[in-house]
Amino acid sequence: MSGIAARLKHNRDKAQGIGTNSHAVKYLNQDYESLRRDCLERGRLFEDDCFDAEPSSLGFKDLGPNSYKVRGIKWKRPKDICSNPQFIIENATRTDICQGALGDCWLLAAIASLTLNKQVLSRVVPHDQSFEENYAGIFHFEFWQFGEWVDVVVDDRLPTKDGELLFVHSEEGSEFWSALLEKAYAKINGCYEALSGGSTTEGFEDFTGGIAEKHELKQADPHLFHIIEKALARGSLLGCSLISADSEAVTHRKLVKGHAYSVTGAEQVSYRGRKEKLIRIRNPWGQVEWNGAWSDKSSEWRYVSDDDRERLFDRRENGEFWMTFSEFLRQYSRLEICNLTPDALTGDEYKKWAESEFEDTWRRGSSAGGCRNYPNSFWTNPQFVIKLDEVDDDPDEGEEGCTFIVGLMQKNRRQMRKMGQDMETVGFAIYEVSTRLNYWGKKQVHLKKNFFLRNCSTARSETFINLREVCSHFCLPPGEYLIIPSTFKPNKNGDFYVRVFSEKPADFQEIDDPVECNVEQIDVEHGDISNSFKRLFGQLAGHDVEISVFELQKILNRVVMKRNDIKTNGFSLTTCRNMVNLLDKDGSGKLGLVEFKILWTKIEKFLDLYKERDADQSGCMSSCEMRVAVEDAGFSLNNPLHQIIAARYSEPNLSVDFDNFVCCLIRLEFQFNTFKTLDEDSTGRIKLGFMEVRDV
Amino acid sequence: QFVPSEPPPPRRPAVFAEAHESDEEKQFRRVFQQLAGEDMEVSPNELMNILNRIVSKRGDLKTDGFSIESCRSMVAVMDSDSTGKLGFHEFKQLWNNIKKWQEIYKSYDADGSGVIGADELPKAFTAAGFPLNDQLFHMIIRRYSDEGGNMDFDNYIGCLVRLDAMCRAFKTLDKDNNGTIKVNVQEWLQLTMYS
Repeated sequence: MSGIAARLKHNRDKAQGIGTNSHAVKYLNQDYESLRRDCLERGRLFEDDCFDAEPSSLGFKDLGPNSYKVRGIKWKRPKDICSNPQFIIENATRTDICQGALGDCWLLAAIASLTLNKQVLSRVVPHDQSFEENYAGIFHFEFWQFGEWVDVVVDDRLPTKDGELLFVHSEEGSEFWSALLEKAYAKINGCYEALSGGSTTEGFEDFTGGIAEKHELKQADPHLFHIIEKALARGSLLGCSLISADSEAVTHRKLVKGHAYSVTGAEQVSYRGRKEKLIRIRNPWGQVEWNGAWSDKSSEWRYVSDDDRERLFDRRENGEFWMTFSEFLRQYSRLEICNLTPDALTGDEYKKWAESEFEDTWRRGSSAGGCRNYPNSFWTNPQFVIKLDEVDDDPDEGEEGCTFIVGLMQKNRRQMRKMGQDMETVGFAIYEVSTRLNYWGKKQVHLKKNFFLRNCSTARSETFINLREVCSHFCLPPGEYLIIPSTFKPNKNGDFYVRVFSEKPADFQEIDDPVECNVEQIDVEHGDISNSFKRLFGQLAGHDVEISVFELQKILNRVVMKRNDIKTNGFSLTTCRNMVNLLDKDGSGKLGLVEFKILWTKIEKFLDLYKERDADQSGCMSSCEMRVAVEDAGFSLNNPLHQIIAARYSEPNLSVDFDNFVCCLIRLEFQFNTFKTLDEDSTGRIKLGFMEVRDV
Repeated sequence: QFVPSEPPPPRRPAVFAEAHESDEEKQFRRVFQQLAGEDMEVSPNELMNILNRIVSKRGDLKTDGFSIESCRSMVAVMDSDSTGKLGFHEFKQLWNNIKKWQEIYKSYDADGSGVIGADELPKAFTAAGFPLNDQLFHMIIRRYSDEGGNMDFDNYIGCLVRLDAMCRAFKTLDKDNNGTIKVNVQEWLQLTMYS
């Protein structure tokens, strides 16, 4: 209850816009403004007790407390390192980032790309910070973490050795934004060492909130050139690299292996009577350029129009060069594109993606259905529908379609666990939903098992993989498509975040059943009750002619324990109390004849339902069958509720006993009734004081 | 008017937590790892076993043992991610509360009977941070005590765990602190069905 309340509060906060870039969540509840004010008032410099200037903040293994690498490390503030420290000199540039003694080049490559886009950079690095005005030794940065922007504060004590910064530092040595940014990123990851080893796409996404696609160039998408053109027009961050074991070895064509390049342009020019596709690449070192065809010194440029030469050709040694697209595919091995969210870009110069997103969960026994190989449970996964109305503006070679990108990201909520353990193997499938079914405007419902037995998937993620994110690019005809994210195997708990970026605005929704109670009311008149039932009641009720909670427990257990065809541990007192609460109309706390008859009728009906679902005659049903049984009993519930029911009422082996089944249905009906009673004006929302929640 | 127990502190990175633990906390972590098994989570059955193992060694706490229903309910009110199990922080919070409330139980069992009588109950609950009104005490006694108005240890703990969770749930959702909360039908069912 307190746990669920915390979750509900999170959902409400999110609906109110907390967690957007302009309204970031405060990491560890640390508030930059108030901490700084406090330090200024007390005339002290900030010391962050959540990320201390201690060995444990450095690392656990190679940089662990007793390792030789950390010997002689002193934590110093910039003012003790150089005479005139600056936060940012003029503008942040890629030369502010020089790698230190940490294997986080992936992160630095991401930061370097970031400096090419001022708007995006200023969201991560609030620029109104300095070592002069209101300096209190405290700085803050914003990162994107699984759908939320998080504001992280750090103090400016930085690890040094022999008077120099141990990790990231600027070329000039007096500019500190990059070192402090690295410290803040280390803080949310636990320590500096946690940053060692990673992928640039992770850094891209944590700094932009964008979605990063990887393209292996050996099996390139036939439309890749067009995809690159569009990505550039949308202000995306593009990086490419030559994967190689010998890092930073230079080929005879002057390309650097194992090094991250940026892609900065894509153009088509007329060359000797035909169209040539060209791509512009930049070495972040600012030097060492490709020396093959179309490079700065090559002859090909003589055979293009004056206009094109004027527009594109730049002979300077600045790290930037052109090559043909086909050469690019041969020379490089991987291209990474980070598409930005619409709010990352202001102004009209960029076309913007439309973005929609959802947070959801897979839970063992209810919504963790596994992939299509498991038809009995696949349908229980959370389902989403995207409606694509408009085709792209400039179709590639006459092929009309709607372009969209789907990204499925696993959330690693459990920070107590070591990385890797929490990664499940995940992916998604896409089904075309015929418009005949018409989910829009009408009641939306979760699609059932039959739909997936009769329909084939239209598209799917390339693989199921145990990475933080799987992401794929699609171009499909207009229509409605169902997207089903899942783990590979069923019954794996996981939290995920699914996003769709589309070229044209598209409606993206989770489809789930409405929360409703349609239980048939049982009407029993005194006269309808048979004499034998009356006699039975007389014997059971005793002299007060009513059945108490304790008597009910004895009676029910005597009946169910005799049966071999249902599995049960017997009814608990709580369940019996719930039954009395549900049916006791006169408030006596006990059941009279008519009330007891209604209860009896209900239990008989539950028994039928239970046995109907127990397909294998094992005497109990599985929590997956429970979903259908609850529906047959007259309740329409959505995923969060099905998850709760599985968590609360199933056994460790995911079976549901008869007593738990009955308990669940009785409580559901009772709580629906209570809500209806409290919702006097049928607004769908009830206002409660503490006394009304006292369902202790 | 209620004094619910402190919510767990914001989660800190594992490396931080482990480096800053006291010896007692380190010992607790080891116990948790043993108890929770490979998945590092405590199920209602595991909770029932550990609680019953402990109370069975204590002659001064009268109890007929924690039932599985009561343990399911305790797990449900503490669980925040609908897995049906408690993680390290959730379990630690529950554990600390049980330890605290057990001492109160002993010191307010004035006649040393091993149970809390109806007359001892208000003082014990007030000491635990729940100064309730008569109506609520009456309801609690009817629900958790035996016919003679006596509450044994498992019922006492079961009742306080739920009461505490309810107070905290209410406080969490009462954003403007005006003594009322608003919920829709889904939220209502999530709160009441998972308890």
